[in-house]
Amino acid sequence: MDYLATILLLAISTALINNMVFHFFVGNCPFIGVSRKLDTAFGMGAAVTFVTTIAALLSWLITWAVLAPGAPLTTWVWHLIRPDAKGVVDLSILNYVVYIFVIAWAVQLVEMYVRKFFPALYKAFGVFLPLITTNCVILFVCLEIMKHVPSAGDVPDPWGLDKALIYAFCAGLGFLIAIVIMAGMREEIEHCDVPKPLQGPGITLIMAGILSLAFLGFTGMDSNLAKILKPAPTPAPEIKAAPPPAS
Amino acid sequence: MSNDGPTPLERFVQGIIPENPVLRQVLGICPTLAVTNTMEGAMTMTGAVLFVLVCANVLISLIRGMLKPHLRILVFTLTIAAFVTVADRLLAAFMYDMSKQLGPYIPLIIVNCIIIARCEICAAKQGVWTAFSDAVGQSLGFGLALGCIATVREVLGFGTWFGKWLGWHVIPASIPTDVWSPWVIMVLPPGAFLTLGLLLGATNWMTARTKKA
Amino acid sequence: MKKQNYIADAWLVILLSLLFGGGLAGVQASLKPRIDANKLGDTLSQIPALVPGSTRGEKADAGEAVVYKALDAAGATTGWVIPASGQGFADRLELLIGLDATGGRITGLYVLDQKETPGLGDNITAKAWRDQYAGKATDKPIVVRKTKPEAPNEIQAITGATISSDSVTAIANAAVAKFRTDLAGGGIH
Repeated sequence: MDYLATILLLAISTALINNMVFHFFVGNCPFIGVSRKLDTAFGMGAAVTFVTTIAALLSWLITWAVLAPGAPLTTWVWHLIRPDAKGVVDLSILNYVVYIFVIAWAVQLVEMYVRKFFPALYKAFGVFLPLITTNCVILFVCLEIMKHVPSAGDVPDPWGLDKALIYAFCAGLGFLIAIVIMAGMREEIEHCDVPKPLQGPGITLIMAGILSLAFLGFTGMDSNLAKILKPAPTPAPEIKAAPPPAS
Repeated sequence: MSNDGPTPLERFVQGIIPENPVLRQVLGICPTLAVTNTMEGAMTMTGAVLFVLVCANVLISLIRGMLKPHLRILVFTLTIAAFVTVADRLLAAFMYDMSKQLGPYIPLIIVNCIIIARCEICAAKQGVWTAFSDAVGQSLGFGLALGCIATVREVLGFGTWFGKWLGWHVIPASIPTDVWSPWVIMVLPPGAFLTLGLLLGATNWMTARTKKA
Repeated sequence: MKKQNYIADAWLVILLSLLFGGGLAGVQASLKPRIDANKLGDTLSQIPALVPGSTRGEKADAGEAVVYKALDAAGATTGWVIPASGQGFADRLELLIGLDATGGRITGLYVLDQKETPGLGDNITAKAWRDQYAGKATDKPIVVRKTKPEAPNEIQAITGATISSDSVTAIANAAVAKFRTDLAGGGIH
């Protein structure tokens, strides 16, 4: 029950409260660029969710096994080469380079999949599908997971693979919600009389501003939900005074 | 290997206002919104982008003869990711407070469309000096756009300008709160979106006017 | 024929990867000590303010837990500083709590990292509010009240930021209770 509560809180917090677009400002380029039509927007959101989850899976595994301080695979290989080596092997300087390549590879995978099974969607996307590689959401999620991968270093809040995947999926879901809402609104606003200087990105950003104002209303939902789902532990009994340390 | 195309000076000048990466090309929106709640954040981000853009542009320009078309994006990405790692570590070593404040947005420079766009448009096709000027010009334009947004957000949201580094209170701290109190919304996400949207509108309007005249 | 082309083309990528890999390793080696010192300095620089009478701090030997010892100029222990973290209103909070040498009183509280609402929740960083914790005995958990505190173990919440105030207090109470147990058990040196 406690586990389910944690997962639910993580899901709501990532998808709604700390929404990728409206709170963390990532994923804005496709958010402004691809949100013209509802079905393209939904397709983009779904593609991003899919790529994010795959990329998160790969980056958690690679970080845990190879790149983090004291990672098992790297330590084993290092001990093969230098059996008497002491200290912790730390390849984390290569994190960013590895992540961007993982993301590029995941996007290639999705591109091949979409081209084979959804050719109409593939045509509709055009150049935007390979551009998912430069979508900040995916790299942001990988970086956030990097901070929580269990390692020999100082990790205040370690996440297992399950939590990382749920975080990634919900981040993509949050992006999907944002881009679909924006597409719905933009389809309506095409019939409105927008002043010429503001047409296109200008009015989209102003609408995004009002939307993020609305999403601000979700703040605090997770701490209150936490209070309900995870009842506070019974207060500790009177603590006996600690003896002075022997110095 | 030809050096046709805009001269270094043209590249430099174009990058600042006519082809401003944020306001005209509408690229690199993510950091623009994220770090502009203070001028210090905006200037640090500009510095980081300047470093990465110059290094990447110069290196790509040096090896542009050896780039195979189908592998060039890979090479760009590898170069940019490496230099961003260096910039991130340098910031963590020498400007630790800024590094904490900017957090994940420095590594996000890797996917900043501006840098890949400049590598593709300029560095892969022109000489080192042109690529260098292009990088500096575009970074200055980026800094200009960020500075405008950050000024509006910081002055209205905190009442200071460069408050952390210089402590300048544009709106004196002694003003009673019922006369003026900070517009907290400006330093929150909605303020960022609204400011950039209005600034884009203003830029488009000014461009249309100068074209007419 | 195509396969040969790909491998031949890839030599540049491979060469660049090796060069960058080496370069990055060099950057890591030269900058790591500075970065680690920065991280530690964040905490250590707060110790003189958190535990009056101390001039510096160092990491104490506490097994799995992270505890810092506050020392005066002569090297005697003047108190302890414990890091604590937990969920705030908006995101995680990271605190540093100063305690006296016996662990019987809180000497100070410092907020290392917070992402609370600007103008409301982030007033937990204000010195005036944090100073309410100084002098509180640790035998009873601290209680947050919306009105003026009456009992010695009560503090007043920030107007409009009750949850942030509650969160800080809850995190502090839990960390202090754990520390007292560890100290009583003799696990900290």
